[in-house]
Amino acid sequence: MATTAPTTTRSLRSFTRRDFLRAGAFLAGLYGLGRTGAVTLAEGLQRLFERKQLVLWLQCQSCSGCSVSFLNADHPGPLDVITRMASLVYHPNLSATQGEQAIETIRKLIRHGHYVLICEGAIPLGMPQACLLAGQPMLELLNDALRNASLVVAAGSCAAFAGIPGAEGNATGAVCVRDFMEKRDIPVDKRLINCPGCPCHPDSLVATLAYVAARGYPKVNPQLLTPDMIYGRSVHDDCPRFHYWQKNAFAQRFGEEGCLFKLGCLGPLSYTNCPHRQWNGGINWCIRAGAPCIACTSPEFARRRDFAFYRLGEKYHAVTYHEHERRGDKS
Amino acid sequence: MSRTVEISPLTRIEGHLAVHLETEPDESSGFRVKAARCEGEMYRGFEQILRHRDPLDAQQITQRICGVCPIPHAIASVRAQEMAYGIRQNHNGRLLQNLILAANYLHSHILHFYHLAALDFVDVTAVLNYQGSDRTLKALKNWAAEAVARSDPFAAAPLLPRYDGDYVKDADRNQRLVAHYAEALEIRRICDEMAAIFGARVPHSTAIVPGGVTQVPTAERVLSYAGRLKRVLDFIEAVYLPDLLEVATEFPQYFEIGRGCGNFLSFGVFEQDAGDSKFIGAGAVINRKWEAVDQAAIAEDVAASRYAPGPAQHPSRGQTQPQPARPGAYSWLKAPRYRGQPMEVGPLARVMVNYLNPSATWLRREVDAFLAPLNLPVEKLISVLGRHVARGLEALWIARQAGKWLDQIELDAPATCDFELPKSASGFGLTEAPRGALGHWLTIENYRIEHYQCVVPTTWNCSPRDSQGKPGPVEAALEGLVLRDPSQPIEAGRVVRSFDPCLACAVH
Repeated sequence: MATTAPTTTRSLRSFTRRDFLRAGAFLAGLYGLGRTGAVTLAEGLQRLFERKQLVLWLQCQSCSGCSVSFLNADHPGPLDVITRMASLVYHPNLSATQGEQAIETIRKLIRHGHYVLICEGAIPLGMPQACLLAGQPMLELLNDALRNASLVVAAGSCAAFAGIPGAEGNATGAVCVRDFMEKRDIPVDKRLINCPGCPCHPDSLVATLAYVAARGYPKVNPQLLTPDMIYGRSVHDDCPRFHYWQKNAFAQRFGEEGCLFKLGCLGPLSYTNCPHRQWNGGINWCIRAGAPCIACTSPEFARRRDFAFYRLGEKYHAVTYHEHERRGDKS
Repeated sequence: MSRTVEISPLTRIEGHLAVHLETEPDESSGFRVKAARCEGEMYRGFEQILRHRDPLDAQQITQRICGVCPIPHAIASVRAQEMAYGIRQNHNGRLLQNLILAANYLHSHILHFYHLAALDFVDVTAVLNYQGSDRTLKALKNWAAEAVARSDPFAAAPLLPRYDGDYVKDADRNQRLVAHYAEALEIRRICDEMAAIFGARVPHSTAIVPGGVTQVPTAERVLSYAGRLKRVLDFIEAVYLPDLLEVATEFPQYFEIGRGCGNFLSFGVFEQDAGDSKFIGAGAVINRKWEAVDQAAIAEDVAASRYAPGPAQHPSRGQTQPQPARPGAYSWLKAPRYRGQPMEVGPLARVMVNYLNPSATWLRREVDAFLAPLNLPVEKLISVLGRHVARGLEALWIARQAGKWLDQIELDAPATCDFELPKSASGFGLTEAPRGALGHWLTIENYRIEHYQCVVPTTWNCSPRDSQGKPGPVEAALEGLVLRDPSQPIEAGRVVRSFDPCLACAVH
């Protein structure tokens, strides 16, 4: 499927309705939304550009990968995202403000309300000093920010599902945004959207913000709170190597053609649209590069010590997982 | 009359850092820093999370130490595994790993100068007076002016608010730098595309494995990389380096500020061939004397760190036992020391190490050629601006060299090799991330990770005091700094950011 993104080389020329329709159509095509979906996203993008949604971006136990990924957004491009699509009131990696002035800016926005809170990173509920801000556990500021937001987007698998900080054996009791909100009695229903991915794909974040601006809270998986339009289908279902799977033609070594399942591919457990939009402007993606999928959008991503990404170990020692767990079967 | 200054959070770095300064009044009517503390404020605990996992998980898990520089972690991890498995990358594997890493350096350095550091120097408000016809600048002017006109409480965020300070005065220069900030966003995105051409995707490449890279290099892949590389190289030569010099012209005093500890360490990076030679060489410089690196001389001290107390340990034996409320501890970073000395790492360290290496290299010629028209002795590079200059020069050298690696690729041939998993083994991987010397130490028992320790660039640079009370490089660089207005300590931010700190890395 053609995947090269239309390059947005014009940074800030005023966008016409046709530009929004084009960008919206592209995003909608990626998410299989069809014609109506294209119009919705175009409207959403246009509203975002006109209204400039206020955004507060906070990081807890994060690697900043979702922020770097966000800077890789291509339609709209990085500059439009930062200056036109949203009013990025505070972002720890990008904001000119620092120190007390930064805290005041955040507090001012929380008091103002009417902002989207983008959360990146897990939250160290079991060890509050594992994330400090101005000497105090950041949990308290996060609590206030969550309470006053009009919408919360958990960007990336750490925020959505606790990710690697929340893996088995972690010392900080890291939890996801949802768990923290429920613990603090902050309403979750229709207020929280999970956009997993390690990192979060920039298009996932942009499309979610655009959809919310146009139509409000999207249709989500009721357990996972992930938008169906992005996370509804598995990588396995839409994999370009699916025909190899059907013929039981498996790659035995890295770099070979064939289905990557025997090398460890977790496509069957991975619900996201990588086969369609691919990565970094459509230049490549994991399976196209011969790299088995590691199910980075899964709520169980990296969780278990005994559930290795790759299956080479099976050649040498007994494993405690069953193959059907890797297929996503019930038995 | 001393005064405490706390900058928390320090923004426009990666991760959570608070900078604590003890100051006293200075005859210039400012405040002079007597002592500084770098306080790493966030902990995750990768070294525990890795325990008892399959060793092959390591290069995936450790990339998540940092989303700005995941690739060096993947490289250090696969080098440690390659040593443990007794293998080396094949011809294509070595080249593709170099190319993915090179692209990561270029994105990182461009991001750092423009999007992390530049706002300490550039007066973005100059765009409000722009009268010319450049579309980007006109649009930015309208954006800012409209927000100001409607009294937007968050006008021009994230470029405002900001500290008051002595920003660039020249209006044309400011406007050029603002336009380049915008262009640099696109250029760094292109660098990430380059990394993904062979690395599958970034951040967090799935294609890097022990022995090489899963992507088979085709002519189409190589041409995609080459075309983007050309654009990025043009930007570095025509925009980035000239902008560096423009900033240096307005702030020459920053060649005298932020010297730091004066010791430098590099593990070398970019394997050139099947032998041990690296494009950017390894070495240690202590008291201006060069010596070959002995990794056994590395130890991590925890005297001021939020971990269980104990003697400084080599990372092959060190433990990570968090004690968040330990009395006297002020940072989540350990204090790495080399032969008991704090060591600066990063682009400046790589330049100084290779410049002072008695076997003269291409690097010394390049640095001399760059400094000559500026009438600047190499000694002046040990400074805030020197770090920025070293970073820019390094981006240029790596971008040029990457073209040569592309030419050496064997098209359509695999970039991986076979290996066996040992039941028990150990290994370590030493490389250089954009921010400096990076090492991963691995022990395998019963086919599982028994022990895994990382010593990461910013751990060296933003290190707290050790058991001898010696400050870390950034803490030392802040000593003696004069703040014009301690309530808006813009000078301190300039010093700290010159090291390009990454705190998620530093703590891991």
